[in-house]
Amino acid sequence: MENVRPAPESYSDEFVLNIGPQHPATHGVLRVVVTMDGEVVKDAVPHIGYVHRGLEKLFENRNYEQIMPYTDRTDYLSAIANNFAYVLAVESLMGQEVPEKAQYIRVIAAELNRIASHLLWLAAYGLDMGAFTPFLYAFRDREEIVSMLEDASGGRLTMNYFRIGGFMYDLPKGFFPKLRKFIARFGKSIDQLDTLLVENAIFVARTKGVGCIDRERAISFGMTGCCLRASNSACDIRRDIPYSIYPKLDFDIPTRLAGDTWDRSWVHIEEMRQSLRILQQAMDGFPEGEYRAKVPKVIKPPAGEVYSCVEGPRGEVGFFLVSDGTSKPYRIKMRKPSFSNFSALAEILRGLKIADMIAIMGSLDLVVPEMDR
Amino acid sequence: MTSIEAQDAFRARFPDAALQPPDAALRASVAPETLHGHLQYLHDQLHFDYMVFVTAVDWPEQSRLEVVYRLFSYESKSAVVLRVMLPRDLAKVASVADIYRTAEWHERETAEMFGIEFVGHPDPRKILLPDEIDGHPLRKDFSHPNMVPLPEVE
Repeated sequence: MENVRPAPESYSDEFVLNIGPQHPATHGVLRVVVTMDGEVVKDAVPHIGYVHRGLEKLFENRNYEQIMPYTDRTDYLSAIANNFAYVLAVESLMGQEVPEKAQYIRVIAAELNRIASHLLWLAAYGLDMGAFTPFLYAFRDREEIVSMLEDASGGRLTMNYFRIGGFMYDLPKGFFPKLRKFIARFGKSIDQLDTLLVENAIFVARTKGVGCIDRERAISFGMTGCCLRASNSACDIRRDIPYSIYPKLDFDIPTRLAGDTWDRSWVHIEEMRQSLRILQQAMDGFPEGEYRAKVPKVIKPPAGEVYSCVEGPRGEVGFFLVSDGTSKPYRIKMRKPSFSNFSALAEILRGLKIADMIAIMGSLDLVVPEMDR
Repeated sequence: MTSIEAQDAFRARFPDAALQPPDAALRASVAPETLHGHLQYLHDQLHFDYMVFVTAVDWPEQSRLEVVYRLFSYESKSAVVLRVMLPRDLAKVASVADIYRTAEWHERETAEMFGIEFVGHPDPRKILLPDEIDGHPLRKDFSHPNMVPLPEVE
């Protein structure tokens, strides 16, 4: 029989694989169209925007206090970081002073939220990689944080906690004993999670050396947060553009050299340890005083523009605010870390195996509503 | 390069640059046709390696669209802002996605939201909006049949 197979140079095993919009590994509604050659990814085209809600347009019809709950809903895992960036923008435009005690409460809430977000990331990432046990441990610890923040704010996920000029209420009675207990216990818990997942031999085999991105490319793609720190860059907005009481606090910025998937995981774990240190210092130095400043009844920042950013769990969370002097913002642009971090996906993925894609997407710590806004 | 040196070098290139409180970033307005060259200079010579965001602001009374580029340098830890003013009916500016890869997605978003054409963009598709939408939602005069004005409350 005559051989009818075409000559090797004229055929290929290329095909197109559509992942999403509903797929357990995408952690939300996004779609990646990958061109495959056998098992190897040749190209990836991400499609986002499935949960775009037009928040920036909506903000133009809300007054400044009404915007706060919407900022929670952009990134439901780090509501506090979004509240924080937004109040900083409005307060700096108004020239509003915030009492020191309120600053401390803000930092405590932000660091608790960072740990909660990292724990959820760890849990979900473990599930992606086939490790079920860390999920249970991580959620046990996360529950403690969520219940502390619930005591303080009334919300468990979208907390709507910060107010322009401070807070609505003081910290509840019994908050600090809970926090002290948590700090005392959680240090050991991080070590446990570290051994369970990040130092686990199977996990290391799947992530070490996979999905590397070097410093220059990571910066060019606008990557921030854990993803950039894993690529050998000691960047942290808490240090680079200090805000609130962070200059008074002593903490390290964990970095790694290779910028691979395992390094990104390691940075997440190490960051939780640093957040614990910050929490301890903030608790020790907690001042007496007012929890809110006197603010005008109707908030009308003077005409002008400002950009304020904070270090969120995923990277730089920023609000670019243009005011025309009325009680409603003229324009608000939200700069979100997942948007920029995810844009590097195709660059990281090219040439790797399809199974690595799950490991890489998980390590980028994506929150889809934050990308789509 | 320290923060002071970066600011001085920026002032030398843009004499009318102003430091606008409360946000500690130098700002300069440039002509649209010179934007690409300026950003190339800032990236290569002054090491503003990180583009924080690109966005636009619509000013219908002046019939202008303002495009804002915010840059940050990890070396000198300083931020600068460049802006261009474009006519509202023929908004065109060169894409800078070849200098900053992150500009690719930010420009796609700005393009669909404001109706600005980024000339030379490698992938000028919509990013957040559905393909069938008409108009540019973040322009002030955008309207849609589903949009209902809020009732005024006292």
